[in-house]
Amino acid sequence: MTLAIGDELPPLVKGPITREDLKAYAAASGDPNPMHLDEEFARNAGYSGVFAHGMLSMGYLAEFLVQAGGVGSVRRFRTRFAKLTWPGEVITCRGRVTGITDRDGERIAECEIWTENQAAERKLVGSAVLAVPRR
Amino acid sequence: MIGRVLSTGSATVTAEHVAAFARALGDPNPLYVDPEAARRGPFGALVAPPTYPIAFMTQAMAGGMDTFLELGLNFMTLVHGEQEFEYTRPIRVGETLTLTGRISDVYEKTGSSGTLDFVVLETEARDADERPVFFSRNTLISRRT
Repeated sequence: MTLAIGDELPPLVKGPITREDLKAYAAASGDPNPMHLDEEFARNAGYSGVFAHGMLSMGYLAEFLVQAGGVGSVRRFRTRFAKLTWPGEVITCRGRVTGITDRDGERIAECEIWTENQAAERKLVGSAVLAVPRR
Repeated sequence: MIGRVLSTGSATVTAEHVAAFARALGDPNPLYVDPEAARRGPFGALVAPPTYPIAFMTQAMAGGMDTFLELGLNFMTLVHGEQEFEYTRPIRVGETLTLTGRISDVYEKTGSSGTLDFVVLETEARDADERPVFFSRNTLISRRT
């Protein structure tokens, strides 16, 4: 894709997130936090139940950025975990280009990015810098 | 405490670890999992997805938790507040990376729901030639109870 200011990056839909997904992510990432696996533990900590690792959703956003710019295009990538993501939610990764700089044969695109659930409630909000070859 | 090196560690990126991580994300990109496709691809080898450093840091820096406990964070209410990565290039399967993790900031904020403790951890990864590969800034928040 060409990447110009105002462009929307092609959305990526993931989920619905299952408790099995959380177990798989916990194992693969080495995160032993029972908050994502143990319903009773999560309720004792004051939550309505287990919720997804923030980094699972950030992983979805990474797939979304690579879909737009290709492997190796992501130079900076930050997110704030604004709201919790729950099992059963369908998560859509979205973003748009907010700035463009052409430099050394590369096009550097600054993007605002976020995840949202099926009610368009934003969960992760952040920004990314993609570098793609200039055409 | 600020600026203190939490832990260092080095580890080799394995195809199994990267493939398991990509599978757990449901990310089908062949450059993460298919050695043949990766050999023909732009990097000539399997590479890792952009958030793989989080799993790699956990694997390579086991032991950092002790210092972490000294901070007196409430583990029952510990949440990941923000995460930031900077990349020089993709991580390649088979390479050995050396990590250095530091506490870059510690602060608190008091609001209507009580006091929150913030800890910012910064980790730098360098390759065998001492060149930077990625940088991670991780903000953790715990609520005082």
